[in-house]
Amino acid sequence: MVNKKYDYIVIGGGLNSLIAAALLAKKKKSVMLFESNDSLGGMASTSEFSPGFRCNLVYDYIKWLDERVLKELNIKKDDIELIINDIYRVSLDLDGNHIFFHRNNKKTIESISKISKSDADKWNDFTLFISKISSFLKPLYKITPPNIQKMGLRDAISMKNLLNPILSHGTRGIADILRTLPMMMPELLDEWFESKLLRGTLAASGIHHLNQGPYSAATVLNFLHHNIYSGINILDAKFIRGGTNSLSSVFSKKAKDYGVIIKNNSEVIKINCNNGNCDGVTLADGQIFFSKNIISGLDQENTCIKLLGNENLYPNVRTQLNNIKYRGSTARLHFALKSLPKIKGINDDQIQTVFSISPSINYLEKAYDEVKYGNFSSSPYIEFCISSITDPSLAKDNNHVLSASIQYIPYALKNNKWSDKLKNDIINNVTSILDKYITNFSDDIIDSSISTPFDFESTLNNTEGSFNHGEMTLDQFLFMRPTISSSQYRTHIKNLFICSPSTHPGGGLHGANAINMINEITK
Amino acid sequence: MSKIDKYDVIIIGGGHNGLTAAAYLSKAGKKVLVLERRHVLGGAAVTEEVFPGFKFSVCSYVVSLLKANVIRELMLPRFGLEILPLESTFTPLDNDYLFRTSDYDQTYKEIYRHSQKDAENYMRFGPLMGQVGMAVRPILETIAPNAIRPSFKDLMSLKSLFNHVKGLNKETFEYLCKLMTMSSADFLDEWFEFEPLKSTMAASGIIGTFMGPRSPGSAYVMLHHYMGDIDGSFRAWGFQRGGTGELSMTIARSAMHFGTKILTEAAVNKVIVKNGSAIGVALENGDEYKSDIVISGLDPKLTFLKMLDESDLPEDFVNDIKKFRIRGSSGKVNLALDGLPNFTSLPGNGPHLRGAISISPSYDHLEKAYDDAKYGNFSKEPYMDIILPSVIDPEMAPPGKHVMSCFVQYAPYNINGGWDDTKREAFGDAVVNTLARFAPNIKDLILHRQVLTPMDLEKTFGLTEGNIFHGELTLQQLFSFRPAVKWADYTTPIKNYFQCGSGTHPGGGVTGSPGEMAAKKILKIW
Repeated sequence: MVNKKYDYIVIGGGLNSLIAAALLAKKKKSVMLFESNDSLGGMASTSEFSPGFRCNLVYDYIKWLDERVLKELNIKKDDIELIINDIYRVSLDLDGNHIFFHRNNKKTIESISKISKSDADKWNDFTLFISKISSFLKPLYKITPPNIQKMGLRDAISMKNLLNPILSHGTRGIADILRTLPMMMPELLDEWFESKLLRGTLAASGIHHLNQGPYSAATVLNFLHHNIYSGINILDAKFIRGGTNSLSSVFSKKAKDYGVIIKNNSEVIKINCNNGNCDGVTLADGQIFFSKNIISGLDQENTCIKLLGNENLYPNVRTQLNNIKYRGSTARLHFALKSLPKIKGINDDQIQTVFSISPSINYLEKAYDEVKYGNFSSSPYIEFCISSITDPSLAKDNNHVLSASIQYIPYALKNNKWSDKLKNDIINNVTSILDKYITNFSDDIIDSSISTPFDFESTLNNTEGSFNHGEMTLDQFLFMRPTISSSQYRTHIKNLFICSPSTHPGGGLHGANAINMINEITK
Repeated sequence: MSKIDKYDVIIIGGGHNGLTAAAYLSKAGKKVLVLERRHVLGGAAVTEEVFPGFKFSVCSYVVSLLKANVIRELMLPRFGLEILPLESTFTPLDNDYLFRTSDYDQTYKEIYRHSQKDAENYMRFGPLMGQVGMAVRPILETIAPNAIRPSFKDLMSLKSLFNHVKGLNKETFEYLCKLMTMSSADFLDEWFEFEPLKSTMAASGIIGTFMGPRSPGSAYVMLHHYMGDIDGSFRAWGFQRGGTGELSMTIARSAMHFGTKILTEAAVNKVIVKNGSAIGVALENGDEYKSDIVISGLDPKLTFLKMLDESDLPEDFVNDIKKFRIRGSSGKVNLALDGLPNFTSLPGNGPHLRGAISISPSYDHLEKAYDDAKYGNFSKEPYMDIILPSVIDPEMAPPGKHVMSCFVQYAPYNINGGWDDTKREAFGDAVVNTLARFAPNIKDLILHRQVLTPMDLEKTFGLTEGNIFHGELTLQQLFSFRPAVKWADYTTPIKNYFQCGSGTHPGGGVTGSPGEMAAKKILKIW
C-alpha cells in the first residue's frame, strides 16, 4: 500500500512544530506531524517525576509570545490566559533584604531604594534604555536573516523596516544597540548600578541557559533576548493559567482544527532523500510516509546528522554542523512538597512569582569558573517557583511542587561521568541552599528529582541538553544561526526546512522561529 | 617667562603614532612640532638602559604589525630600520615542549610528533588566517564612518566595504565572522586537539586584553595579532636592532628629515581652546605654543578628559569617553641575566632561545591566571610571552650577559588594596617562580630585575590604567566606536583638535596606522 503524499511532514511536536503545522494547514496544505513521545509540547510539556506529582519539564513561565502567531492563528486572550501578577520576580537575599520587581515601576524603585538610593534613581532610566534598544531588536526578530554575501539592493530595501525605530529614538539608538550587544553584563551594569544583589540578578538574566559566565562578551545579547518584550518590566516572567503545557494544548488543538494529522508515539528515524531532495520519512516501526516538503522542529544535529545521515551530507556542511556549540548548562530540579513552602520575608500572597538566587555577579562568575574546569557549580545560580500554584493539576490535595533551574550543570564532566550519586549530591546541595531561604524546607520534601543536560539529551532529544538548540552567543546569532550557510530556515537539502530554536531568533517559548520560517518558505 | 611660537601643527606625545603623523604632515610641507613629556622618544616603544650595560625595550618589545606602506613612504630603512627576524615560538611544558618555526617542514614534523591531525590542519590554518587577515585589511585602512550621521562619503565607503565583504570567498567570510565573535579557544578547538598548541595560539588572543582564552571576543584580538606584515611577509615577528625604541627613533629621524621639530621633556598640560577651536597648547612649565592644528597621540581619556575641560565638550561625548573601557591587564618584567636560561624540557642553547618563548602550557593555565585577575589579584602563575633580545642583538647586553623581556599577564590595574612596593615584588616573584618551573636555573642568573605593574605603566608611559592598546580591543570599541561614536574619524568635537593614538581605529600595536591615517585625514580636509 502506498501512503498518500502530503504537502508537508513536520518532525517533532514541540511548540514551533505545532505552530508551523497549524499555519501551513491554515493555508490549505496537507500536513502530517510526528511526535516521538506520547505527549505533545516538547520543552513545554509536563511529566510525572514522582507518584502523584507532575512538573513542567523545562519552562515554568514564558517571557514573550510572538503576537503574529496569535493573530495568524486567531488565538484569543481567553485561550491563553496570562497571569499578570503585580510582583513578577523576587531576588532573594540571605538577610531578607529582597528586591521585589513589580509591574508598577514605582514600587520596584521603592524596593530597590531600600538597598541603594542611587540604583533606585537610575532604575527608570535603565528600563527606558533597555526598551529603547529592544525596539531596535524587535523588527530584527521578525525577519529571515539575510545572506550577507548574496544580499542585493532588493533585499536591503526589504529590510528597511529595521530602521523604523529611528523615527522614535533617533539614529543614536542604532549606535547604542551596536555598542551594547557585544558587551558583557558587568560592562553594561557598571554604567548603571552599584548594588551587588541587583547587579547579580540582572546579570543572571544574561547567563540564563547559557554556558558562559557574566564576564563573557555578548552576555548582554542574551539579556536582551530574554527581555526584548519586557518593556519597562525588566526580567519579566509571565505564568500561564493551567501551566505552560496549556500552550501546547492550545496550539495542537488549533493545528487539528485546521486539519493537521498529529501522530504521537511515532519516532522518525530517517529522512528519506532522493536525488538531493527529500521525499518523506521512515518511522521506527518501519512505516514510510511521503511528502513534498519536510519541516523539522529538531536541532541541527538531530535533523541533519542523525536523520539525514552521512550519505546526504557534504563534508563542508558536516564541518559547519559539527562546529555548532550546543552546551547545555542548566539542570531542572523538582521537589514534591507536603505543603506550600514558607519563604523567609515573603507573604503567602506574594508567592506566585519567580525567585532568583543570584547574590552578586562574582557569585555567578564563580559558579561558571567551576564549569570551565569541567565540574558543576557548587554554589549555583538558582531560579525557582512553586509551579503547582499556577497549575494545580501538578500536585494533589495540599501538596505542592517547587521547580528550580540550576546553573551551571554541564552536559559532560571532565574527570567524571554522570551518576545517581553525583545527581544526589546536587539535590542535597541545592536543598541545603534553599533551606537558608525557606523555613523548614528539607522537612517538607516528600520526593525530588533532577534532570541534567545529559538526561535532557535522551528525554527531550536536545543535543547536549541545550534548551536553545545551540547557544545564544554572538557567533551563533542572526545570519550565523545556526550556521552561516543555513541561516534562512533552510538546509542544504532544498525542501527540508528547520523551525526549531536552533534558528533565528533562538530559544524560548515564543513561536517566532516557526512564523519566520513560514513567512520565508511560503514567500 | 612665556614663549610664543607659531606652528602649523602641534603633536602632543612623541609615541610612535605621534611621530608617524608628524612625519607624514612634515612630508606634506607642514611646520610640525612634537612635544614629548619624557626625556626619551617613543612612548611605549622605547629602549632604555635600565641597568648599566643592559638595554631594554622597556614596554613594547616586538615589532610585527608595522605597516609596509608606512615603512616605504617614510623611508624608514634609510633612517635605521632593521628588523631582526624572530621566527619561532617555543612553548616549554613540564616534560616536553612544542617548538614552531617559520620553516613549514620542520614545524609540520614537530606538530606531527604531538598530533598527526593537528599537523595537517596547521598547514591549512596558516594560509586561511592569512586570507582572513588580507580580507580585514581594507576595513582597517578605511577611515571609520560616522555611525550616527553618515556623510555621503561615509555611505560610499560603507558601500565599498560591503562590496568587498560580498566579494570574499565563502570560507574567508565565514571565518572572518567567526573571528569577530568567538573566543579564541572555541575557534581553535574547531581546528586542533593538542592543547599546548591551542593554548599558545590562543594566547595571542588575550595579549593586552582583560579576558581569558575562553571569553568571546578573544578571537578578534588573535586576528589583530595576525595582521602584521614586515617586508610584506605575513605574520612575521621581528625585533628592531637596538630595541623597539630604535624603531621610534627611525620614525623620529624620518620626521626630522622632513622638517619636524621635536622637543623632549616638554609636558603638555592643556590644549588651549578658544571659541570651540584649538589654538595651541600650554606646557606644565608655563610655556605656550600656538598652532593651527593640535593632534593628540595620547589615549582617549587623556586626550579629552585631561587635555581639555569637560565644559568644552558635549555632554554625551564626555559620557562616551568616560565609558570607554581601558582596563590594564598586563605587566612587564625585565631581567638582566648572567647567562642563558636552561629549559628542563630542551636543555642548553639553541634556536629555541632565538624566538618567542611562551609560557602557556594549557587553556586552564591561562584561564586560572585570568581568574586571579578577575577577582582583583595578579596571577599566581601568569601567562608570559618572553624574548631574549641579547641573543639576537648582542649589543643589548654586556658580553656573556643577557637581557630577558617578559610580558606578563594578568596584572589588574585595580588590584585589591591597590599596588604598592610589596605587591610589585610579590608579582615579580610570581613571574620568576613560574619561569623557574620550566627553567630552574633562572633564579641564580638574575642580576637585576625591573618589574612594571599597570600602575607603573600608567605613571611612566602615560598609559591610562596601564592598557597597552589605549583601550580594549572589544567589538564595541572598534571601527566607528573607537574611541566614541561620531568621533572615530580622528576628528574631535573641538575644531582643529585631532587624535592619532592607538585609541583610534584601527587600534593598538606598533603599527603606525592610526598616526598615518590621522595625518592623511587631516591633509584631506585641510
